[in-house]
Amino acid sequence: MDSLDPRIQRLDKSQDLPEKENLDQLETYEVFLQLKENKPYQHVGVVHASDEDLAFLFAKEQYSRRLTCTGLWVVRTSNVYVSLTTDNNENVYERFEDGKEGDISFEVFHLLKRGKQHVHAGTINSDDIKSAFGIAAREFGETTALNVWIARSADFLKSDPGDVDIWSTLPDKKFRDALAYKAGDKLKNFLEKNRS
Amino acid sequence: MNKTALKELLFKIADDQLILGHRNSEWTGLGPILEEDIAFSSMAQDKIGHSYAMYQILEELGEGDPDQVAFFRKAEEFHNSQLVELPIGEYSFSLIRHFLYDHSDFLRFDMLRNSSYELLAQVSSKIRSELKYHTMHARTWVKKLGTATDDSISRLQNDLDALMPYALGLFEKSPYEEEIISENIFGGEEELRSRWLELIAPIISKTELVLPDPEGVEPVMGGRIGKHTEYLQPLIDEMTEVMRIDPDAEW
Amino acid sequence: MYGGGTIFEKPENKDLVNEDPVKLQEFEDRIERGEKIEPSDWMPSLYRKQLIRMIEQHGHSEIIGALPEGTWITRAPGFRRKMALIAKVQDEVGHAQLLYSAAETLGKTREEMINDLLSGKSKYSNIFNYPAFTWADSCFISWLVDAGAIVNQLANARGSYGPYCRALDRICAEESFHLKYGHHCVIYMATGTDIQRKMMQEALNRWWKPMMHFFGPPDKMSVHTELLMKWKVKMATNDDMRNQFLDMYVPKILELGLEIPDPELRKDEETGKWHYGDPDWDEFYRVIRGDGPCNAERLEVRRIAEERGQWVREALKKAETAYVTPLA
Repeated sequence: MDSLDPRIQRLDKSQDLPEKENLDQLETYEVFLQLKENKPYQHVGVVHASDEDLAFLFAKEQYSRRLTCTGLWVVRTSNVYVSLTTDNNENVYERFEDGKEGDISFEVFHLLKRGKQHVHAGTINSDDIKSAFGIAAREFGETTALNVWIARSADFLKSDPGDVDIWSTLPDKKFRDALAYKAGDKLKNFLEKNRS
Repeated sequence: MNKTALKELLFKIADDQLILGHRNSEWTGLGPILEEDIAFSSMAQDKIGHSYAMYQILEELGEGDPDQVAFFRKAEEFHNSQLVELPIGEYSFSLIRHFLYDHSDFLRFDMLRNSSYELLAQVSSKIRSELKYHTMHARTWVKKLGTATDDSISRLQNDLDALMPYALGLFEKSPYEEEIISENIFGGEEELRSRWLELIAPIISKTELVLPDPEGVEPVMGGRIGKHTEYLQPLIDEMTEVMRIDPDAEW
Repeated sequence: MYGGGTIFEKPENKDLVNEDPVKLQEFEDRIERGEKIEPSDWMPSLYRKQLIRMIEQHGHSEIIGALPEGTWITRAPGFRRKMALIAKVQDEVGHAQLLYSAAETLGKTREEMINDLLSGKSKYSNIFNYPAFTWADSCFISWLVDAGAIVNQLANARGSYGPYCRALDRICAEESFHLKYGHHCVIYMATGTDIQRKMMQEALNRWWKPMMHFFGPPDKMSVHTELLMKWKVKMATNDDMRNQFLDMYVPKILELGLEIPDPELRKDEETGKWHYGDPDWDEFYRVIRGDGPCNAERLEVRRIAEERGQWVREALKKAETAYVTPLA
């Protein structure tokens, strides 16, 4: 049968399609959101993109098209250093050797419970990535975490504070919200009419 | 305030947004990359939402229910530019149209924030903030594909050449242009056109693309007074197919 | 949107003999304690394989599932329905993105998954091989197919693999919008004019059988999945999910004055189980093998979409691109 979708009917289906070429996989970027002012950034997932600018554009609509948002960070997955994952009651910070402070700024994220998402613990300064884990343990080690991610602050693309208004109308987009679809009255009138 | 002039302005803005939002939604589920599919769909929703907001203002001004007023018209009663009604083409075509249109739309609402018609000024502030992302999106893509491969550059250039006359048609003057400006409802098409050129020219110049000289291009006018291409009436028929099954029903 | 019709391979005993028994025990204990497995943890290769298969099928179902409802995007009646339907179909694409990302953490790239979809090697939910003839069909899908999907996805969100559970938490939150939107659309149709009521009843008649198929074949006909249930890969049996769906939605359909096209459908109050007429399981298997009304179109459309987008992807590609597996 021919397609029922007028959009599909308009597609050119006459030509023989070549087998899909096996393209290189675009890289992934890890995405972190701040849902409200003064809340820590949290990991929400990845986007596939070719650079930070595009990753930011994609992440904005894939991860912050609902609820509220006040900030968005993206960083290339391959720029993130990852610790091992411990059991739920063992603090992974205790596994890191102490490190030296330095001039390079790093963002630290940790996982507090399996199945949850990494949250931003804070920013530290160190000389290199190995030391950064040590400094992170010194700064945040009182919290029991199971897994730690660290990446250089300079590798992140962070939303410009002047652009926060790109999220300002989210609460107005009620058509994307379950609460906007109340048909109770219509149903009630219908049921009452049927009873009488 | 000259209500006729104001309504004429609102109708043309609203129709541009409705038709372009409709066109862009043709990519939903069929986009070139999953993430881009999502981003483009959001902007299609925004466009239709902006149009709805304009029609709600028109309702305040005495026009009827937006769903009735907007959808049950013939092509010659639509005030949109011809730019927005053209079929979606390949993705480069839709992207270039989005780039050209959204920068003008952003500036239009930037100017309308100062409208003497308060309700419009308020709504414009909100719409402008959404359009900020739309222009960010358009700019990033044009910079990227306009500097990438020979193939992507030549695709974008062809579409830019084809669409420039239509884009200049966005600034077709209203019969009430003088009143609109003198009553501070809107700064006028001429100002918008020059601000638009100032905004897009530097973006294009950072790519391998060449912006056609606007003075050497004959703008495609007529959309604002109901002159349309062969593509608009079928679009309207399709858009209203369900509503026309039973025009009195609530859907 | 996804049901319980995942096609699992039958696990063989030999699949486990090569695994380190100590690690296997630790892995099973962790699941038993109710803890999630994270991507960097040790896991048996059978677990990895079956999870990839399940999450990938789920992802494919979302991207293909965007097509039947997409049929009505340009014809949705009025401003609000137009915006909502675009948002709804957009969500399905978004869900595919989330699910593919979750499967990627297990070591299969999105590109490989899409190749397997297009070549027919990997499956998606059967229900999307049926056409959406009228606007009422799209209302049915938004309400009831999504309702069925929520039953399945809420169960799976309690599963053992962290990244899949995280994706499902978000997916379920968004599906609650689909469900309410769909119910809203169906209420407008069923309580509307005679023409609308007729359209809605006809859509229900068309979709009831695929809806029964949606949860997969009866347990007595399915591959044994005890091990997958122990590992919390599969969380509820097909019959349980179908039963839960019927419990929740049959009364809501009937209150709208619609008739369910199955004269045998009734609930056994003693056992709490629904009895339903044979929805033709042969047809279910025929459609899985590729012989449904829209199988060819669905895959062709995805192929065209990929083909038309290829120049964009080529243009973005960089010489030094080095893909690594996403983190979580």
